[in-house]
Amino acid sequence: MSQLTINNVRIAGMSACVPSTVEDNRTLPIYKDENDALKVIASTGIERHHKVDENTTASDLTVKAVEALLDKMGWAAQDIDCFAYVCTSRDYIAPQTACILQDRLKLRNDCCVFDLPFGCSGWVYGMSIVSSLLSHGSFKRAILVAAETNTRNRNPRDTAVRPLFGDAATATALEFDPDHSRPMNFMYGVDGSGFDAVWAPYGGIRNPVTPEALEEKEVSPGVYRRGVDMIVNGMDVFGFAIKQPPRSLKELISTFNIDVETVDLLLLHQANKFIDEKIRKAVKMPTEKTPYCLEEYGNVTSASIPLTMVTRCHEQLSGEEKHCVACGFGVGLAWASMEFYAGGVTMVDVIDY
Amino acid sequence: MNIQEFIENFAAQLDETEPDTIKADTRFKELDEWSSLTALSIIAMVDDEYDVIIKGNDILKSDTIQDLFDIVEKKRH
Repeated sequence: MSQLTINNVRIAGMSACVPSTVEDNRTLPIYKDENDALKVIASTGIERHHKVDENTTASDLTVKAVEALLDKMGWAAQDIDCFAYVCTSRDYIAPQTACILQDRLKLRNDCCVFDLPFGCSGWVYGMSIVSSLLSHGSFKRAILVAAETNTRNRNPRDTAVRPLFGDAATATALEFDPDHSRPMNFMYGVDGSGFDAVWAPYGGIRNPVTPEALEEKEVSPGVYRRGVDMIVNGMDVFGFAIKQPPRSLKELISTFNIDVETVDLLLLHQANKFIDEKIRKAVKMPTEKTPYCLEEYGNVTSASIPLTMVTRCHEQLSGEEKHCVACGFGVGLAWASMEFYAGGVTMVDVIDY
Repeated sequence: MNIQEFIENFAAQLDETEPDTIKADTRFKELDEWSSLTALSIIAMVDDEYDVIIKGNDILKSDTIQDLFDIVEKKRH
């Protein structure tokens, strides 16, 4: 079992930026009537999502989120030793978006920056990677971004995904703190045999972009896609999501001897309510300890967990220390669970782009 | 596992279809209320009741409830 314990790193601040345009699932043109829409809302819990325009990228949302966070924390961009950008909707094929953001955010030229192209498991993976780097004690301050523009890499005429996915950028400030005695604990998981449960087949090196890959086709009744669009095979994702995340959380709980009674917050990737409720019940966490933001923002992949924290846990996380357990799961298929403690966190209210 | 119990568990996932009309040879994807959401309920039911995860493709290649029952039974062994 791959497990990891990291000491002396704390979450210092969090922020999020979402596009101001909201798409309401009740009035989407993909349904034959409102009743049809209400059925989907009832089972997914997703009522609406925020959507970028065609000129905005995840890095644009990121700049606003990071600047607001640094401002509220009183950190200068020059203080940042490490900057990680978790995102699959990158600005360009090359270079890494983190390099461009170094310049836009005025980070130091000797700052350690990199992209982490994870999907829904990305915040948890990113927390482990960045915290691990900080734990050596040389880097003092880091920013972990989890951002995605799902509405731009999926087809708006794909009825299977349009009501579910939204756009957001989040920033998590982490700092080395030798007095922070609470460890972060992690468990990992991956099953590459399910790579085609969520994937974009064209646009990489194996299947380059061709004129055919840009043609929109009706792949099943009412579902239109291009080869370069992200495919979400709902049934396979569902089968995976009701099995692996509960198993991963149970492994985390038993490996690190977590007393579930003492957990204050269960922070789940916001896949959909049906899936998340099954996970919550499997680990016997009460509803009041399991915050959701999917009704308002949909599934924002790697940004889901930090967006939930920013929009639903502002008071809890800025107050006394809370015992938290989180689980991210999705494209890969990849998943990861973590235990951490957070308190006195500088929380910035969600910003509109 | 027995087919009668499987049929009852299957019928319990449907909202608008009379349970009595569901038989082993019912072509479930031709039911009026069948949708991708019903498929998810069936996947969840099979996980809860039989501890087996069926794939989207298992549902796609099954025509009748008996077909699906056979797949679940095979996966249990």
